[in-house]
Amino acid sequence: MADSIISLKEISKTYKAGPNTVRAVNKVSLEIDRGQMVSIVGHSGSGKTTLLSLIGGLTKPTSGTVKLNDTDIWTLPDKEQSLLRNRLIGFTFQFASLIPTLNVFDNIRLPSTFDGTALVSPERVQELMDKVGLGDRGHSYPSELSGGEQRRVALARTMINEPQLILADEPTGDLDEDTEAEILAIFRQINEGGVTILIVTHSKAVASQASQTLKMHKGHLTENLENS
Amino acid sequence: MKRIGLLNLAAQNLKRKPFRSIVTVAIVAIAAGTLFSATLLISSVQQSLKVGMKRLGADILVIPEGAEESSESALITGVPTSFYMDESVLDEVRSVPGVDQASPQLFIESLISAACCTGHVQLVGYDPDTDFAVSPWLEENTQGPLGDSDVVVGSLILANKGETVKFYGQDFNVVGVMDATGMGADESVFMQLDTAYRMAEESQQDALSALDVQRGQISSVLVRVNPEVTIDQVAQRISTNVPGTVAVTANEISRSVTDRLSGFLRGFIVLDVIVWVMSLLTIAAIFSMIVNERQREIGLLRAMGSNRNYIFKLMLTEAVLLTAAGGLAGILIGGATLFIFKAVITASLGVPYLWPPLWYFAVLVLGTLLLSVLTGALASLYPAFSSSRLEPYAAIRQGE
Ligand SMILES: Nc1ncnc2c1ncn2[C@@H]1O[C@H](COP(=O)(O)OP(=O)(O)O)[C@@H](O)[C@H]1O
Ligand SMILES: [Mg+2]
Repeated sequence: MADSIISLKEISKTYKAGPNTVRAVNKVSLEIDRGQMVSIVGHSGSGKTTLLSLIGGLTKPTSGTVKLNDTDIWTLPDKEQSLLRNRLIGFTFQFASLIPTLNVFDNIRLPSTFDGTALVSPERVQELMDKVGLGDRGHSYPSELSGGEQRRVALARTMINEPQLILADEPTGDLDEDTEAEILAIFRQINEGGVTILIVTHSKAVASQASQTLKMHKGHLTENLENS
Repeated sequence: MKRIGLLNLAAQNLKRKPFRSIVTVAIVAIAAGTLFSATLLISSVQQSLKVGMKRLGADILVIPEGAEESSESALITGVPTSFYMDESVLDEVRSVPGVDQASPQLFIESLISAACCTGHVQLVGYDPDTDFAVSPWLEENTQGPLGDSDVVVGSLILANKGETVKFYGQDFNVVGVMDATGMGADESVFMQLDTAYRMAEESQQDALSALDVQRGQISSVLVRVNPEVTIDQVAQRISTNVPGTVAVTANEISRSVTDRLSGFLRGFIVLDVIVWVMSLLTIAAIFSMIVNERQREIGLLRAMGSNRNYIFKLMLTEAVLLTAAGGLAGILIGGATLFIFKAVITASLGVPYLWPPLWYFAVLVLGTLLLSVLTGALASLYPAFSSSRLEPYAAIRQGE
């Protein structure tokens, strides 16, 4: 399947919680085609965040295989796996995820600096700041930004290494409707540029924008709807 | 574009908790400062003993009984002294088996009013025919032996070559200034024995206060020992064979200085070891705290694609930055303290002092810095390692 960017085979993640085992993700198999915008919905605790983390290689599945671009990511040594995460994937999280000691400009370019070689141009950073509507806030620190602005910076950061895949965990969770619409518009724009996007969301508005909707329930993938 | 290097990121992190960072720096500074200044003090005293004893050139010092203490303080710290014995001692010492060379010296305290100098200085008369302490220096640094009214002076005597100094009403030409030894020689004025006797005689008419020194009196005999016998043995023989005298070996003098110093420093060194261990433990504790506090951030960095090595180096860099700063502060403060209180310390301990050569100084500075940095690296090793091993997702969740 040359077209799948994500390929999950029977992946499970279980946690021991005292005497019980929590099956956070239970035998999920899934193929996602390149260029899709996919929403993931489900109740709190149904395993959405865990699924996203498994896809991004942030946690190791208890069983099953995770392939990105046909590479089984858990066969890679840490260095290569990290590099793959760095180059291929952009994450945004449920919570504020900026580094408080860096200004907006440096937060955005941070992922491009880890190996010291992929130095991006200041113009590229500026372009991304413009794209998320914060063109003149480069020198601001995270504490000086509103929640919505912080999300937008995080979104610009996910784009810095031109990823093929963006994994977004409730990116509009605590935002008002107007801000949500703005963020959503940016996601759509990114997706139109060919980037595959997975968005975990509780918002119908967000889910309706997706080309495909996955529903999670108690660790299982219960529905996989192609939207019209 | 300017990189966001590890160093930069680490430094920013340290600024986040300024109080904690400052406390850590202070602890390391105390440890490094005490170590640095104590080592420097010891080295300076040893340097001075080395240079000073070499200048003295003698294995044994023969002095009148009862003059042990004052002769030592004269030799070591330059407290002027005068004690006398009959010159017949010289021949008796020479006849002791194992004595290779023996040369007399005459000590005279200058008057307080001597034109060149604040306070008393030690005038030393030596015998140019047998001397082996001053003459080698003269041979290298002046044209031949001293004339009748010539002197050479120690480095602390405020007179330059070519100037005239006045003692007991007599004028003397300064023909040379000797290098510093840190010991009593720096505050001494050397002249020929004969010149010294003549000065004493003429002081009866010329001086404000006459000198009560006769020809035939000497203060000490410097002895060089035949290399085939031990110095201690010869000293023993002299003390028993030559009545009314004591033979003190150069080693004994050095040892008594070092003993006095180590008595003072022992507490210091114990304290220092405790402080180092404390700083090691404190830094370890602080860094496991830091790792805990920043789990989410570490998880985030990993999610963005930094590898384990990067996280490990980041934590280590933070620790090393702190301890390097502490080490540097300690060196500066410790060095400055020693520099400022040098006179007080050496006077109260009765030890000589001579700054060691520059290269040694550099080694000491680098060594102290290295130790500080190693302390930081060692203390943060485990926290840095465990933080680099955190699973990104677990780290992010734990931070919640
Ligand atoms: N590290 C963990 N330890 C124990 N239980 C966990 C852990 N991570 C997730 N879980 C459990 O797994 C289930 C799924 O969690 P999560 O993926 O966060 O759900 P969602 O994102 O849909 O709210 C929950 O019951 C949660 O309590
Ligand atoms: Mg979640």
